[in-house]
Amino acid sequence: MFHKLSLLLFAALVLFVPLDASAKLELVATTPDLAVVAREVGGADVHVVALALPTQDPHFVDAKPHLALALSKANLLLLTGAGLEVGWLPTLLTGSRNADIQPGSPGYLDCSSLVSLLEVPTTQVDRSQGDIHPQGNPHYSYDPRRVETLAVGIGKRLSELDSAHKAGYFARTKSFVDGLRAARAAWEARLAKLRGEKVIAYHKSLPYLAEWLGVQVVEHIEPKPGIPPNPSHVAHVLEAARANKVRVILQQAYYPSGTSKLIADKAGAVFLQIQGYPDFAAGQTYTAYMNELVGKLAKALGI
Amino acid sequence: MNFPYFCAPGAAFAGVVFIVSVAHAQGEPPTPTTPTPTPATSSSDERDIQAALAADAAKSDQPASTATPASSGPTAPSSGVQSLNPDISVIADFAAAAFSNDTHLETGAHDPQHNGFNLQALELSFAAAVDPYLRFDSHISLELSGIDVEEAYGTTLGLPFRLQARLGQFLNRFGRLNASHPHTWNFSDQPFALGRVFGAEGNKGLGGELSWLTPLPWYVELVGSTMMADGDETSRSFLGDTQRTVHGPKDLEYLAAAKQFFPLSDDWSLAWGMSGAFGPNPSGPGNRSAIYGSDVYLKYRPITSQSPLVVSLTSEWYYRRRQVPADIIQDVSSYTELFLRFAERWATAVRYEHGTAPFGVDGKVTDPLDPEWTRARQRVALALTHYPSEFSRFRLQVSRDMPGWRAASWAGFLTAELAIGAHGAHVF
Repeated sequence: MFHKLSLLLFAALVLFVPLDASAKLELVATTPDLAVVAREVGGADVHVVALALPTQDPHFVDAKPHLALALSKANLLLLTGAGLEVGWLPTLLTGSRNADIQPGSPGYLDCSSLVSLLEVPTTQVDRSQGDIHPQGNPHYSYDPRRVETLAVGIGKRLSELDSAHKAGYFARTKSFVDGLRAARAAWEARLAKLRGEKVIAYHKSLPYLAEWLGVQVVEHIEPKPGIPPNPSHVAHVLEAARANKVRVILQQAYYPSGTSKLIADKAGAVFLQIQGYPDFAAGQTYTAYMNELVGKLAKALGI
Repeated sequence: MNFPYFCAPGAAFAGVVFIVSVAHAQGEPPTPTTPTPTPATSSSDERDIQAALAADAAKSDQPASTATPASSGPTAPSSGVQSLNPDISVIADFAAAAFSNDTHLETGAHDPQHNGFNLQALELSFAAAVDPYLRFDSHISLELSGIDVEEAYGTTLGLPFRLQARLGQFLNRFGRLNASHPHTWNFSDQPFALGRVFGAEGNKGLGGELSWLTPLPWYVELVGSTMMADGDETSRSFLGDTQRTVHGPKDLEYLAAAKQFFPLSDDWSLAWGMSGAFGPNPSGPGNRSAIYGSDVYLKYRPITSQSPLVVSLTSEWYYRRRQVPADIIQDVSSYTELFLRFAERWATAVRYEHGTAPFGVDGKVTDPLDPEWTRARQRVALALTHYPSEFSRFRLQVSRDMPGWRAASWAGFLTAELAIGAHGAHVF
């Protein structure tokens, strides 16, 4: 009898003891860009897990069951939103059994709600236009201005969830934003000559980068989002590249490169492949990632 | 202390607002571009384009699978439209079929059934959160002969201790294939084992399920459920077509399953499950049926570099034993399939199936459910699938059925699948 009572007591203690104030918040970010920002803002007060790899196309991540394990322990879920993770996150979220991170909960932060989105359709859309995002374009983290806003939003949510460490979240958010602002000023100065430059992209994943730098994406290798290129469209893109004197074909490394290289060769342009996301696992920061991207762009265009 | 960036009207807050405002003010809106007319591409350009496209098509890593609109387990398709309407999707599967033997042995309700054109399935799905505690999923199959409620269930979202409950009409989570819907399959018909053991529709019914995500370091999910053992097409091994009344717990079907997942590396994954289904068998007073199963799914998909390649191996085994007057009828059925996505929009798969003859305690017996099944049956199928987009699919499938008790026969299917509506989430 005594033994049973002891067991019950132990179980009650284990299950109902309040969270240690010094315990780290468990954060899960769907994509590495959110994860690196959250890691900088959260610092030692958080533990961050990224579900997608930087080498993966974020539209098509496998809903591997063990990812639900990370979600089951999370205090805060950061998702890119705007439909980017629609093909895989809902399965994991339901399977996580974690009420704290379900939509509408304080632990659910759709980061697309923190920034202004581009390409939000203003007319009726359907899939004859390709695999479009009715909520707007989700690839906003290529714009450091929006990432400043994003960091502020993440910091605010962390301070709400973990008010004991509010001062730390504040200090790190300020430090991140200040650092990024300074870096951005340098990047903008370095790439000032890019304003008005015409480029070609593979997928509609670079409008935020283009908007920030004042670059024009004149064509995409994909005829419509998510639809593989066909010969007549590629011929059209090649014509556009020549007509617009395009100097660079720019795309993420997770897209196939053969067609892009061909167009670059024939149009006398540079083919530039960029890493899709910061390398979260290797400890890369957002600023370091963007610094690399800016450096590649400058080098490719000889500026 | 407030978080100054957001809550206090202090200098720091104003500073950040200023930073963000200034930053955005510096951006310029993109200018719409209309490419000017240019000279046409040359014939050598065209040849080079064809070659580059072919190479890229073989390298893209976009998944060549039709979308899964809200119909493969408790998933939550999202919608971009701000409304309280549920997510709605429709998936249609059509087939042109040719059988060398008109009395073919296809066992699935959604399998092509006759020479000529077939409507395999027209599935209408609705899904939405009910409230902060529950979500609801339903999949209605519209058929030329009527309507079938494939599934309609509620799922809890946040029970304590990592528990989750489902209540309603659902496909039992026995093994890997039973709980899935035809549009997620690599073939246009179901393995005969599923029809032999559970029935044409798979094992489903009205009931309740409780599952537990254990706190072990690797993924282990334990599932227990109970449901009505009704229907020849859903509870065949429990003789579900027999008229009977539920007098107590012994008249219901019970399922126990353990599902494990091992991320062997970023590129390699292994899922392994074990299941058991137990229920009444009114062939005699107190008789019971039991089905034991094990399933393995090994997948290779390189995600650390750009590649279209996906290779998966699925194998599922069913051992069934049923008490009948004066004997125990047993059999083993299995299927093993190898799937290969070799290019961005192309995949192929091969499947081998085997079903033993029924055997009793003392040797060979006749199974009253399949009296003609007196020897082992084997079947081999080969499929080639093209996915124009994530929402459409065309498949050519050829199979050779070799039942030991009659002459072998061929079947050929050309199938088309079209999906519209909300983009559902895929399950692994």
